[in-house]
Amino acid sequence: MSAAADTLAQDHGHADPHGGYGGLMRWITTTNHKDIGTLYLWFSFVMFMLGGVMALVIRAELFAPGLQIVDPDFFNQMTTMHGLIMVFGAIMPAFVGFANWLIPMQIGAPDMAFARMNNWSFWILPFAALLLVLSFFTPGGAPGVGWTLYAPLTVQMGVGMDLTIFAVHLLGMSSIMGSINIITTVLNMRAPGMTLMKMPLFCWTWLITAYLLIAVMPVLAGAVTMTLTDRHFGTSFFNAAGGGDPVLYQHIFWFFGHPEVYIIALPAFGVVSQVIPAFSRKPLFGYASMVYATSAIAILSFIVWAHHMYTVGMPVTGQLFFMYATTLIAVPTGVKVFNWVATMWKGSLTFETPMLFAIGFLFLFTLGGFTGLVLSLVPIDIQLHDTYYVVAHFHYVMVAGALFAAFAGIYFWLPKWTGRMYDETLGQWHFWLTMIFFNVTFFVQHFAGLAGMPRRIPDYPLMFETWNMISSIGAFGFGLSQLLFLYVVLKCIRRGEKAPEKPWEGADSLEWTHLPTPAPYHSFDPQPDLR
Amino acid sequence: MAAVSRNARTALILASIALVGFLGVILKYWVMSA
Repeated sequence: MSAAADTLAQDHGHADPHGGYGGLMRWITTTNHKDIGTLYLWFSFVMFMLGGVMALVIRAELFAPGLQIVDPDFFNQMTTMHGLIMVFGAIMPAFVGFANWLIPMQIGAPDMAFARMNNWSFWILPFAALLLVLSFFTPGGAPGVGWTLYAPLTVQMGVGMDLTIFAVHLLGMSSIMGSINIITTVLNMRAPGMTLMKMPLFCWTWLITAYLLIAVMPVLAGAVTMTLTDRHFGTSFFNAAGGGDPVLYQHIFWFFGHPEVYIIALPAFGVVSQVIPAFSRKPLFGYASMVYATSAIAILSFIVWAHHMYTVGMPVTGQLFFMYATTLIAVPTGVKVFNWVATMWKGSLTFETPMLFAIGFLFLFTLGGFTGLVLSLVPIDIQLHDTYYVVAHFHYVMVAGALFAAFAGIYFWLPKWTGRMYDETLGQWHFWLTMIFFNVTFFVQHFAGLAGMPRRIPDYPLMFETWNMISSIGAFGFGLSQLLFLYVVLKCIRRGEKAPEKPWEGADSLEWTHLPTPAPYHSFDPQPDLR
Repeated sequence: MAAVSRNARTALILASIALVGFLGVILKYWVMSA
Protein backbone atom coordinates (compact mmCIF):
# COMPACT_ATOMS: atom_id res chain seq x y z
CA MET A 1 0.00 0.00 0.00
CA SER A 2 1.32 3.47 -0.84
CA ALA A 3 2.04 5.99 1.89
CA ALA A 4 -0.91 8.08 0.74
CA ALA A 5 -3.29 5.16 0.90
CA ASP A 6 -1.94 4.15 4.30
CA THR A 7 -2.54 7.61 5.74
CA LEU A 8 -6.02 7.80 4.29
CA ALA A 9 -6.92 4.37 5.58
CA GLN A 10 -6.05 5.47 9.12
CA ASP A 11 -7.84 8.80 8.74
CA HIS A 12 -11.04 7.15 7.62
CA GLY A 13 -11.27 4.70 10.47
CA HIS A 14 -11.71 1.52 8.44
CA ALA A 15 -12.84 -0.45 11.46
CA ASP A 16 -16.08 1.53 11.31
CA PRO A 17 -16.88 2.61 7.75
CA HIS A 18 -18.71 5.74 8.88
CA GLY A 19 -16.21 6.87 11.53
CA GLY A 20 -18.53 5.97 14.42
CA TYR A 21 -21.35 8.26 13.32
CA GLY A 22 -24.77 7.44 12.01
CA GLY A 23 -27.70 9.42 10.63
CA LEU A 24 -27.20 13.09 9.93
CA MET A 25 -23.81 13.25 11.70
CA ARG A 26 -22.44 10.70 9.26
CA TRP A 27 -23.17 13.07 6.39
CA ILE A 28 -21.94 16.18 8.21
CA THR A 29 -18.64 14.63 9.25
CA THR A 30 -17.97 12.36 6.29
CA THR A 31 -14.62 12.51 4.54
CA ASN A 32 -15.42 9.70 2.11
CA HIS A 33 -15.33 10.76 -1.53
CA LYS A 34 -18.40 8.69 -2.38
CA ASP A 35 -20.47 10.21 0.44
CA ILE A 36 -19.35 13.70 -0.55
CA GLY A 37 -20.12 12.97 -4.20
CA THR A 38 -23.62 11.92 -3.17
CA LEU A 39 -24.05 15.10 -1.11
CA TYR A 40 -22.99 17.25 -4.06
CA LEU A 41 -25.41 15.48 -6.39
CA TRP A 42 -28.41 15.81 -4.06
CA PHE A 43 -27.58 19.43 -3.27
CA SER A 44 -27.36 20.09 -6.98
CA PHE A 45 -30.76 18.49 -7.56
CA VAL A 46 -32.39 20.60 -4.82
CA MET A 47 -30.87 23.73 -6.36
CA PHE A 48 -32.00 22.57 -9.80
CA MET A 49 -35.56 22.38 -8.50
CA LEU A 50 -35.30 25.78 -6.77
CA GLY A 51 -33.84 27.45 -9.86
CA GLY A 52 -36.44 25.61 -11.92
CA VAL A 53 -39.31 27.06 -9.89
CA MET A 54 -37.85 30.52 -10.49
CA ALA A 55 -37.71 29.77 -14.23
CA LEU A 56 -41.39 28.79 -14.10
CA VAL A 57 -42.26 32.09 -12.40
CA ILE A 58 -40.47 33.86 -15.26
CA ARG A 59 -42.21 31.76 -17.91
CA ALA A 60 -45.62 32.14 -16.22
CA GLU A 61 -45.24 35.92 -16.31
CA LEU A 62 -44.15 35.80 -19.95
CA PHE A 63 -47.01 33.49 -21.02
CA ALA A 64 -48.94 36.55 -22.22
CA PRO A 65 -48.13 40.23 -22.75
CA GLY A 66 -48.82 42.60 -19.86
CA LEU A 67 -48.03 42.25 -16.18
CA GLN A 68 -50.03 39.37 -14.68
CA ILE A 69 -48.30 37.61 -11.83
CA VAL A 70 -45.25 39.46 -10.48
CA ASP A 71 -44.10 43.05 -10.48
CA PRO A 72 -41.09 44.00 -12.64
CA ASP A 73 -38.76 44.29 -9.63
CA PHE A 74 -39.48 40.76 -8.52
CA PHE A 75 -39.22 39.56 -12.11
CA ASN A 76 -35.66 40.94 -12.24
CA GLN A 77 -34.87 39.22 -8.95
CA MET A 78 -36.14 35.96 -10.41
CA THR A 79 -33.96 36.18 -13.54
CA THR A 80 -30.92 37.04 -11.40
CA MET A 81 -31.38 34.29 -8.85
CA HIS A 82 -32.39 31.72 -11.47
CA GLY A 83 -29.09 32.31 -13.27
CA LEU A 84 -26.91 32.36 -10.15
CA ILE A 85 -28.55 29.30 -8.62
CA MET A 86 -28.48 27.24 -11.82
CA VAL A 87 -24.86 28.09 -12.68
CA PHE A 88 -23.26 28.03 -9.23
CA GLY A 89 -25.73 25.90 -7.27
CA ALA A 90 -26.95 23.29 -9.74
CA ILE A 91 -24.67 22.64 -12.73
CA MET A 92 -21.24 23.18 -11.19
CA PRO A 93 -21.90 21.15 -8.01
CA ALA A 94 -23.45 18.36 -10.12
CA PHE A 95 -20.18 17.83 -11.97
CA VAL A 96 -18.14 18.20 -8.76
CA GLY A 97 -20.35 15.39 -7.46
CA PHE A 98 -19.38 13.26 -10.45
CA ALA A 99 -15.72 14.17 -9.91
CA ASN A 100 -15.86 13.11 -6.27
CA TRP A 101 -17.52 9.82 -7.02
CA LEU A 102 -15.51 8.91 -10.08
CA ILE A 103 -12.01 10.38 -10.17
CA PRO A 104 -10.57 8.28 -7.31
CA MET A 105 -12.22 5.14 -8.72
CA GLN A 106 -11.09 5.84 -12.28
CA ILE A 107 -7.43 6.48 -11.42
CA GLY A 108 -7.19 3.76 -8.77
CA ALA A 109 -6.84 6.08 -5.75
CA PRO A 110 -8.31 5.26 -2.32
CA ASP A 111 -9.91 8.71 -1.90
CA MET A 112 -9.36 12.38 -2.70
CA ALA A 113 -6.01 13.85 -1.64
CA PHE A 114 -7.47 16.13 1.05
CA ALA A 115 -10.46 14.31 2.45
CA ARG A 116 -11.27 16.82 5.22
CA MET A 117 -10.96 19.79 2.88
CA ASN A 118 -13.31 17.88 0.58
CA ASN A 119 -15.91 17.81 3.36
CA TRP A 120 -15.43 21.54 3.91
CA SER A 121 -15.72 22.29 0.18
CA PHE A 122 -19.17 20.76 0.18
CA TRP A 123 -20.52 22.08 3.47
CA ILE A 124 -19.74 25.67 2.48
CA LEU A 125 -22.29 25.34 -0.32
CA PRO A 126 -25.53 25.12 1.68
CA PHE A 127 -24.57 28.29 3.55
CA ALA A 128 -23.89 30.09 0.29
CA ALA A 129 -27.27 28.94 -1.01
CA LEU A 130 -28.87 30.11 2.23
CA LEU A 131 -27.37 33.58 1.79
CA LEU A 132 -28.77 33.76 -1.75
CA VAL A 133 -32.23 32.75 -0.57
CA LEU A 134 -32.10 35.06 2.48
CA SER A 135 -31.44 38.01 0.18
CA PHE A 136 -35.12 37.82 -0.85
CA PHE A 137 -36.10 38.76 2.71
CA THR A 138 -33.90 41.84 3.02
CA PRO A 139 -35.20 45.39 2.45
CA GLY A 140 -35.41 45.84 -1.31
CA GLY A 141 -35.29 42.09 -1.85
CA ALA A 142 -32.74 40.06 -3.76
CA PRO A 143 -30.56 41.84 -6.30
CA GLY A 144 -32.27 42.30 -9.66
CA VAL A 145 -29.12 42.95 -11.65
CA GLY A 146 -28.83 39.77 -13.73
CA TRP A 147 -26.52 36.85 -12.92
CA THR A 148 -23.61 38.85 -14.35
CA LEU A 149 -23.91 41.32 -11.45
CA TYR A 150 -23.10 44.30 -13.68
CA ALA A 151 -22.05 47.65 -12.24
CA PRO A 152 -23.32 50.29 -11.68
CA LEU A 153 -26.64 48.60 -10.73
CA THR A 154 -24.80 46.48 -8.16
CA VAL A 155 -23.49 49.62 -6.48
CA GLN A 156 -27.07 50.92 -6.11
CA MET A 157 -28.79 47.74 -4.80
CA GLY A 158 -29.91 47.08 -1.21
CA VAL A 159 -28.54 44.75 1.46
CA GLY A 160 -29.49 41.70 -0.63
CA MET A 161 -26.54 42.57 -2.89
CA ASP A 162 -24.11 42.21 0.02
CA LEU A 163 -25.50 38.77 0.84
CA THR A 164 -25.11 37.80 -2.80
CA ILE A 165 -21.50 39.04 -2.85
CA PHE A 166 -20.68 36.96 0.22
CA ALA A 167 -22.46 33.98 -1.34
CA VAL A 168 -20.29 34.34 -4.45
CA HIS A 169 -17.20 34.48 -2.22
CA LEU A 170 -18.22 31.26 -0.49
CA LEU A 171 -19.07 29.53 -3.77
CA GLY A 172 -15.69 30.58 -5.14
CA MET A 173 -13.85 29.28 -2.07
CA SER A 174 -15.65 25.98 -2.39
CA SER A 175 -14.74 25.70 -6.07
CA ILE A 176 -11.09 26.58 -5.48
CA MET A 177 -10.73 24.06 -2.65
CA GLY A 178 -12.45 21.41 -4.77
CA SER A 179 -10.12 22.19 -7.67
CA ILE A 180 -7.00 21.97 -5.51
CA ASN A 181 -8.23 18.58 -4.34
CA ILE A 182 -8.93 17.33 -7.85
CA ILE A 183 -5.60 18.49 -9.34
CA THR A 184 -3.61 17.07 -6.42
CA THR A 185 -5.48 13.77 -6.56
CA VAL A 186 -5.03 13.34 -10.30
CA LEU A 187 -1.37 14.40 -10.35
CA ASN A 188 -0.16 12.60 -7.23
CA MET A 189 -2.44 9.69 -6.42
CA ARG A 190 -2.86 7.68 -9.62
CA ALA A 191 -2.33 3.94 -9.27
CA PRO A 192 1.04 2.61 -10.50
CA GLY A 193 0.80 2.24 -14.28
CA MET A 194 -2.11 4.71 -14.64
CA THR A 195 -0.22 7.24 -16.73
CA LEU A 196 -1.86 10.55 -17.60
CA MET A 197 -2.53 9.41 -21.17
CA LYS A 198 -4.21 6.23 -19.92
CA MET A 199 -6.70 8.10 -17.73
CA PRO A 200 -10.35 8.03 -18.73
CA LEU A 201 -11.28 11.22 -20.55
CA PHE A 202 -13.58 12.27 -17.70
CA CYS A 203 -10.49 12.65 -15.46
CA TRP A 204 -8.69 14.64 -18.14
CA THR A 205 -11.59 17.03 -18.65
CA TRP A 206 -11.84 17.58 -14.89
CA LEU A 207 -8.08 18.12 -14.52
CA ILE A 208 -8.25 20.87 -17.14
CA THR A 209 -11.46 22.28 -15.66
CA ALA A 210 -9.85 22.46 -12.22
CA TYR A 211 -6.96 24.51 -13.65
CA LEU A 212 -9.51 26.83 -15.26
CA LEU A 213 -11.27 27.24 -11.91
CA ILE A 214 -8.02 28.05 -10.09
CA ALA A 215 -7.26 30.65 -12.76
CA VAL A 216 -10.59 32.47 -13.01
CA MET A 217 -12.54 32.02 -9.78
CA PRO A 218 -10.21 34.43 -7.92
CA VAL A 219 -10.83 36.99 -10.68
CA LEU A 220 -14.60 36.83 -10.03
CA ALA A 221 -13.93 37.04 -6.29
CA GLY A 222 -11.77 40.12 -6.95
CA ALA A 223 -14.51 41.72 -9.07
CA VAL A 224 -17.24 41.25 -6.45
CA THR A 225 -14.86 42.38 -3.71
CA MET A 226 -14.26 45.60 -5.66
CA THR A 227 -18.05 45.94 -5.97
CA LEU A 228 -18.29 45.53 -2.21
CA THR A 229 -15.67 48.21 -1.54
CA ASP A 230 -17.43 50.51 -4.02
CA ARG A 231 -20.63 50.00 -2.05
CA HIS A 232 -19.26 50.46 1.46
CA PHE A 233 -15.67 51.68 1.58
CA GLY A 234 -15.64 54.73 -0.67
CA THR A 235 -13.73 53.28 -3.62
CA SER A 236 -14.78 53.95 -7.20
CA PHE A 237 -13.59 51.03 -9.25
CA PHE A 238 -16.84 50.74 -11.17
CA ASN A 239 -18.80 53.78 -10.05
CA ALA A 240 -18.74 56.41 -12.79
CA ALA A 241 -19.91 59.07 -10.32
CA GLY A 242 -16.58 58.71 -8.50
CA GLY A 243 -14.43 58.41 -11.65
CA GLY A 244 -14.74 54.64 -12.00
CA ASP A 245 -15.57 52.64 -15.09
CA PRO A 246 -18.62 50.31 -15.23
CA VAL A 247 -17.27 48.76 -18.44
CA LEU A 248 -14.16 47.69 -16.52
CA TYR A 249 -16.44 45.43 -14.47
CA GLN A 250 -17.73 43.81 -17.64
CA HIS A 251 -14.18 43.10 -18.83
CA ILE A 252 -13.20 41.55 -15.50
CA PHE A 253 -16.44 39.61 -15.19
CA TRP A 254 -16.21 38.08 -18.67
CA PHE A 255 -12.54 37.22 -18.18
CA PHE A 256 -14.05 34.89 -15.58
CA GLY A 257 -17.34 34.34 -17.37
CA HIS A 258 -16.21 32.84 -20.63
CA PRO A 259 -13.88 30.24 -19.12
CA GLU A 260 -16.83 29.56 -16.79
CA VAL A 261 -18.78 28.34 -19.83
CA TYR A 262 -16.07 25.71 -20.35
CA ILE A 263 -15.86 24.99 -16.63
CA ILE A 264 -19.43 23.81 -17.10
CA ALA A 265 -19.03 22.26 -20.55
CA LEU A 266 -15.73 20.35 -20.23
CA PRO A 267 -16.84 17.92 -17.48
CA ALA A 268 -19.99 17.36 -19.57
CA PHE A 269 -17.71 16.47 -22.50
CA GLY A 270 -15.92 14.07 -20.16
CA VAL A 271 -19.13 12.28 -19.16
CA VAL A 272 -20.26 11.95 -22.78
CA SER A 273 -16.80 10.63 -23.71
CA GLN A 274 -17.37 7.78 -21.23
CA VAL A 275 -20.95 7.02 -22.22
CA ILE A 276 -20.70 7.01 -26.04
CA PRO A 277 -17.86 4.43 -26.26
CA ALA A 278 -19.62 2.19 -23.71
CA PHE A 279 -22.81 1.97 -25.77
CA SER A 280 -20.92 1.85 -29.09
CA ARG A 281 -18.81 -1.03 -27.75
CA LYS A 282 -15.73 0.63 -29.20
CA PRO A 283 -12.86 2.57 -27.67
CA LEU A 284 -13.14 6.35 -27.88
CA PHE A 285 -11.99 7.50 -31.32
CA GLY A 286 -8.98 9.84 -31.22
CA TYR A 287 -8.28 9.78 -27.47
CA ALA A 288 -5.11 11.88 -27.72
CA SER A 289 -6.77 14.43 -29.99
CA MET A 290 -9.61 14.68 -27.45
CA VAL A 291 -7.09 15.57 -24.72
CA TYR A 292 -5.39 18.16 -26.92
CA ALA A 293 -8.74 19.58 -28.11
CA THR A 294 -9.89 19.95 -24.49
CA SER A 295 -6.67 21.77 -23.63
CA ALA A 296 -6.98 24.00 -26.71
CA ILE A 297 -10.57 24.94 -25.78
CA ALA A 298 -9.43 25.82 -22.24
CA ILE A 299 -6.53 27.98 -23.46
CA LEU A 300 -8.62 29.76 -26.10
CA SER A 301 -11.32 30.47 -23.52
CA PHE A 302 -8.99 33.08 -21.96
CA ILE A 303 -8.78 35.26 -25.07
CA VAL A 304 -12.39 35.55 -26.18
CA TRP A 305 -14.11 37.29 -23.26
CA ALA A 306 -15.05 40.52 -25.03
CA HIS A 307 -17.34 38.74 -27.51
CA HIS A 308 -19.92 39.10 -24.71
CA MET A 309 -19.65 42.87 -24.91
CA TYR A 310 -19.17 43.94 -28.52
CA THR A 311 -21.83 46.59 -28.03
CA VAL A 312 -20.12 48.51 -25.18
CA GLY A 313 -17.86 50.22 -27.68
CA MET A 314 -14.42 48.99 -28.60
CA PRO A 315 -11.98 49.54 -31.46
CA VAL A 316 -12.69 47.63 -34.67
CA THR A 317 -9.35 45.84 -34.26
CA GLY A 318 -10.54 44.67 -30.84
CA GLN A 319 -13.81 43.43 -32.29
CA LEU A 320 -11.96 41.62 -35.07
CA PHE A 321 -9.52 40.00 -32.64
CA PHE A 322 -12.27 38.68 -30.37
CA MET A 323 -14.38 37.57 -33.35
CA TYR A 324 -11.55 35.58 -34.95
CA ALA A 325 -10.42 34.11 -31.62
CA THR A 326 -13.99 33.02 -30.87
CA THR A 327 -14.54 31.36 -34.23
CA LEU A 328 -11.23 29.55 -33.66
CA ILE A 329 -12.81 27.66 -30.74
CA ALA A 330 -15.05 25.92 -33.26
CA VAL A 331 -11.97 23.96 -34.45
CA PRO A 332 -11.18 21.95 -31.27
CA THR A 333 -14.91 21.71 -30.52
CA GLY A 334 -15.42 20.30 -34.01
CA VAL A 335 -12.64 17.77 -33.34
CA LYS A 336 -14.60 16.56 -30.32
CA VAL A 337 -17.92 16.30 -32.14
CA PHE A 338 -16.17 14.48 -35.00
CA ASN A 339 -14.55 12.03 -32.57
CA TRP A 340 -17.85 11.25 -30.80
CA VAL A 341 -19.53 10.57 -34.13
CA ALA A 342 -16.53 8.53 -35.32
CA THR A 343 -16.72 6.50 -32.10
CA MET A 344 -20.31 5.55 -32.95
CA TRP A 345 -19.42 4.84 -36.60
CA LYS A 346 -19.74 1.08 -37.24
CA GLY A 347 -20.12 0.51 -33.52
CA SER A 348 -22.44 -2.09 -32.06
CA LEU A 349 -24.86 0.58 -30.86
CA THR A 350 -27.62 0.18 -28.30
CA PHE A 351 -29.81 2.99 -27.08
CA GLU A 352 -30.32 2.71 -23.34
CA THR A 353 -31.19 5.91 -21.46
CA PRO A 354 -27.59 7.10 -20.89
CA MET A 355 -26.86 6.76 -24.62
CA LEU A 356 -30.09 8.56 -25.52
CA PHE A 357 -29.11 11.51 -23.34
CA ALA A 358 -25.56 11.45 -24.77
CA ILE A 359 -26.87 11.56 -28.34
CA GLY A 360 -29.39 14.23 -27.32
CA PHE A 361 -26.44 16.17 -25.91
CA LEU A 362 -24.45 15.71 -29.12
CA PHE A 363 -27.28 16.89 -31.34
CA LEU A 364 -28.46 19.85 -29.27
CA PHE A 365 -25.09 21.01 -27.95
CA THR A 366 -23.83 21.17 -31.53
CA LEU A 367 -26.86 23.31 -32.37
CA GLY A 368 -26.02 25.56 -29.41
CA GLY A 369 -22.43 25.72 -30.67
CA PHE A 370 -23.62 26.82 -34.11
CA THR A 371 -25.76 29.63 -32.69
CA GLY A 372 -22.70 30.60 -30.63
CA LEU A 373 -20.75 30.84 -33.85
CA VAL A 374 -23.49 33.09 -35.25
CA LEU A 375 -23.26 35.31 -32.16
CA SER A 376 -19.47 35.48 -32.37
CA LEU A 377 -19.77 37.53 -35.57
CA VAL A 378 -19.71 41.22 -34.69
CA PRO A 379 -22.22 42.52 -37.28
CA ILE A 380 -24.78 39.88 -36.31
CA ASP A 381 -24.16 40.11 -32.56
CA ILE A 382 -24.79 43.85 -32.61
CA GLN A 383 -28.29 43.03 -33.89
CA LEU A 384 -28.91 40.09 -31.57
CA HIS A 385 -27.16 41.26 -28.39
CA ASP A 386 -29.43 40.98 -25.32
CA THR A 387 -32.24 39.39 -27.33
CA TYR A 388 -33.94 36.06 -26.75
CA TYR A 389 -31.67 34.58 -29.44
CA VAL A 390 -28.88 34.76 -26.85
CA VAL A 391 -31.16 33.22 -24.21
CA ALA A 392 -31.94 30.35 -26.59
CA HIS A 393 -28.25 29.91 -27.46
CA PHE A 394 -26.95 29.60 -23.92
CA HIS A 395 -29.78 27.34 -22.82
CA TYR A 396 -28.85 24.97 -25.65
CA VAL A 397 -25.32 24.99 -24.22
CA MET A 398 -26.18 24.91 -20.52
CA VAL A 399 -29.27 22.69 -20.47
CA ALA A 400 -28.95 20.52 -23.57
CA GLY A 401 -25.18 20.51 -23.06
CA ALA A 402 -24.44 20.28 -19.37
CA LEU A 403 -27.75 19.00 -17.99
CA PHE A 404 -28.26 16.32 -20.64
CA ALA A 405 -24.69 15.11 -20.01
CA ALA A 406 -25.37 15.06 -16.27
CA PHE A 407 -28.51 12.95 -16.85
CA ALA A 408 -26.50 10.62 -19.12
CA GLY A 409 -23.90 10.25 -16.39
CA ILE A 410 -26.41 9.68 -13.61
CA TYR A 411 -28.22 6.90 -15.51
CA PHE A 412 -24.85 5.43 -16.55
CA TRP A 413 -23.33 5.27 -13.06
CA LEU A 414 -26.50 4.73 -10.95
CA PRO A 415 -25.97 0.93 -10.99
CA LYS A 416 -22.37 1.39 -9.80
CA TRP A 417 -23.42 3.86 -7.10
CA THR A 418 -26.51 2.09 -5.79
CA GLY A 419 -26.06 -1.55 -6.83
CA ARG A 420 -29.51 -1.37 -8.41
CA MET A 421 -30.83 -0.82 -11.91
CA TYR A 422 -33.10 2.07 -12.77
CA ASP A 423 -36.37 1.47 -14.62
CA GLU A 424 -35.30 1.56 -18.27
CA THR A 425 -38.80 2.27 -19.60
CA LEU A 426 -39.29 5.23 -17.28
CA GLY A 427 -35.75 6.42 -18.02
CA GLN A 428 -36.55 6.50 -21.72
CA TRP A 429 -39.83 8.32 -21.01
CA HIS A 430 -37.80 10.87 -19.05
CA PHE A 431 -35.44 11.32 -22.00
CA TRP A 432 -38.14 11.81 -24.62
CA LEU A 433 -40.24 14.14 -22.47
CA THR A 434 -37.15 16.18 -21.62
CA MET A 435 -36.00 16.25 -25.25
CA ILE A 436 -39.38 17.32 -26.62
CA PHE A 437 -40.21 19.91 -23.95
CA PHE A 438 -36.68 21.35 -24.01
CA ASN A 439 -37.03 22.11 -27.71
CA VAL A 440 -40.58 23.40 -27.31
CA THR A 441 -39.27 25.78 -24.65
CA PHE A 442 -36.09 27.03 -26.23
CA PHE A 443 -36.19 26.51 -30.01
CA VAL A 444 -38.94 29.09 -30.40
CA GLN A 445 -36.89 31.60 -28.41
CA HIS A 446 -34.53 31.84 -31.40
CA PHE A 447 -37.42 33.25 -33.45
CA ALA A 448 -38.50 35.65 -30.71
CA GLY A 449 -34.91 36.88 -30.52
CA LEU A 450 -34.50 37.19 -34.29
CA ALA A 451 -37.71 39.26 -34.30
CA GLY A 452 -36.09 41.56 -31.72
CA MET A 453 -37.51 40.55 -28.33
CA PRO A 454 -35.13 41.77 -25.60
CA ARG A 455 -34.20 39.49 -22.69
CA ARG A 456 -34.88 40.32 -19.01
CA ILE A 457 -38.22 42.07 -19.60
CA PRO A 458 -41.47 41.11 -17.84
CA ASP A 459 -43.71 42.59 -20.54
CA TYR A 460 -43.48 42.66 -24.33
CA PRO A 461 -45.34 43.75 -27.47
CA LEU A 462 -48.16 41.59 -28.85
CA MET A 463 -46.06 40.49 -31.82
CA PHE A 464 -44.05 38.15 -29.56
CA GLU A 465 -47.09 36.53 -27.93
CA THR A 466 -47.20 33.21 -29.85
CA TRP A 467 -43.51 32.37 -29.36
CA ASN A 468 -43.75 33.15 -25.65
CA MET A 469 -46.91 31.14 -25.16
CA ILE A 470 -45.33 28.08 -26.79
CA SER A 471 -42.13 28.57 -24.78
CA SER A 472 -44.02 28.82 -21.47
CA ILE A 473 -46.03 25.65 -22.18
CA GLY A 474 -42.77 23.87 -22.98
CA ALA A 475 -41.15 25.14 -19.78
CA PHE A 476 -43.91 23.73 -17.56
CA GLY A 477 -43.74 20.41 -19.42
CA PHE A 478 -39.95 20.39 -19.00
CA GLY A 479 -40.24 21.14 -15.27
CA LEU A 480 -42.84 18.43 -14.67
CA SER A 481 -40.72 15.90 -16.60
CA GLN A 482 -37.97 16.33 -14.03
CA LEU A 483 -40.32 15.05 -11.30
CA LEU A 484 -40.32 11.80 -13.28
CA PHE A 485 -36.51 11.82 -13.06
CA LEU A 486 -36.74 12.16 -9.27
CA TYR A 487 -39.19 9.24 -9.19
CA VAL A 488 -36.90 7.07 -11.35
CA VAL A 489 -33.90 7.75 -9.10
CA LEU A 490 -35.83 7.14 -5.86
CA LYS A 491 -37.38 3.97 -7.28
CA CYS A 492 -33.92 2.76 -8.30
CA ILE A 493 -32.49 3.43 -4.83
CA ARG A 494 -35.40 1.89 -2.90
CA ARG A 495 -36.55 -1.06 -4.96
CA GLY A 496 -34.60 -1.27 -8.21
CA GLU A 497 -33.58 -4.70 -9.45
CA LYS A 498 -30.14 -5.82 -8.33
CA ALA A 499 -27.58 -4.61 -10.83
CA PRO A 500 -25.22 -7.13 -12.44
CA GLU A 501 -21.49 -6.67 -11.76
CA LYS A 502 -21.06 -4.96 -15.13
CA PRO A 503 -24.38 -3.80 -16.52
CA TRP A 504 -22.81 -2.04 -19.54
CA GLU A 505 -20.64 -4.50 -21.45
CA GLY A 506 -18.76 -1.75 -23.29
CA ALA A 507 -17.72 0.15 -20.12
CA ASP A 508 -13.99 -0.27 -19.62
CA SER A 509 -12.76 2.20 -16.98
CA LEU A 510 -11.43 0.99 -13.62
CA GLU A 511 -14.65 1.46 -11.66
CA TRP A 512 -16.30 -1.12 -13.94
CA THR A 513 -13.37 -3.50 -14.45
CA HIS A 514 -11.67 -3.52 -11.02
CA LEU A 515 -14.47 -2.87 -8.51
CA PRO A 516 -17.62 -4.78 -7.58
CA THR A 517 -21.13 -3.34 -8.03
CA PRO A 518 -22.14 -1.45 -5.94
CA ALA A 519 -18.75 0.14 -5.34
CA PRO A 520 -17.57 -0.61 -1.78
CA TYR A 521 -17.44 2.27 0.70
CA HIS A 522 -13.63 2.16 0.60
CA SER A 523 -12.10 1.24 -2.72
CA PHE A 524 -8.60 0.64 -4.09
CA ASP A 525 -7.03 0.15 -0.72
CA PRO A 526 -4.39 -1.08 -1.59
CA GLN A 527 -4.07 0.57 -4.98
CA PRO A 528 -4.14 -1.72 -8.02
CA ASP A 529 -0.93 -2.23 -10.00
CA LEU A 530 -1.78 -1.42 -13.61
CA ARG A 531 1.74 -1.67 -15.07
CA MET B 1 4.66 10.66 4.59
CA ALA B 2 6.51 11.56 1.43
CA ALA B 3 3.34 11.42 -0.65
CA VAL B 4 1.43 13.55 1.85
CA SER B 5 4.00 16.33 1.77
CA ARG B 6 4.00 16.11 -2.01
CA ASN B 7 0.25 16.64 -1.91
CA ALA B 8 0.67 19.58 0.45
CA ARG B 9 3.29 21.10 -1.86
CA THR B 10 0.97 20.81 -4.85
CA ALA B 11 -1.88 22.36 -2.87
CA LEU B 12 0.25 25.27 -1.65
CA ILE B 13 1.37 26.10 -5.20
CA LEU B 14 -2.22 26.04 -6.45
CA ALA B 15 -3.52 28.07 -3.50
CA SER B 16 -0.77 30.64 -4.09
CA ILE B 17 -1.81 31.00 -7.74
CA ALA B 18 -5.41 31.56 -6.63
CA LEU B 19 -4.37 34.13 -4.01
CA VAL B 20 -2.18 36.02 -6.48
CA GLY B 21 -5.12 36.11 -8.94
CA PHE B 22 -7.48 37.47 -6.29
CA LEU B 23 -5.15 40.12 -4.87
CA GLY B 24 -3.60 40.87 -8.25
CA VAL B 25 -6.82 41.93 -9.92
CA ILE B 26 -7.76 44.22 -7.02
CA LEU B 27 -4.29 45.72 -6.61
CA LYS B 28 -3.88 46.30 -10.34
CA TYR B 29 -6.96 48.49 -10.56
CA TRP B 30 -6.31 50.09 -7.16
CA VAL B 31 -2.88 51.21 -8.33
CA MET B 32 -4.29 52.32 -11.68
CA SER B 33 -6.96 54.44 -10.04
CA ALA B 34 -4.54 56.09 -7.58
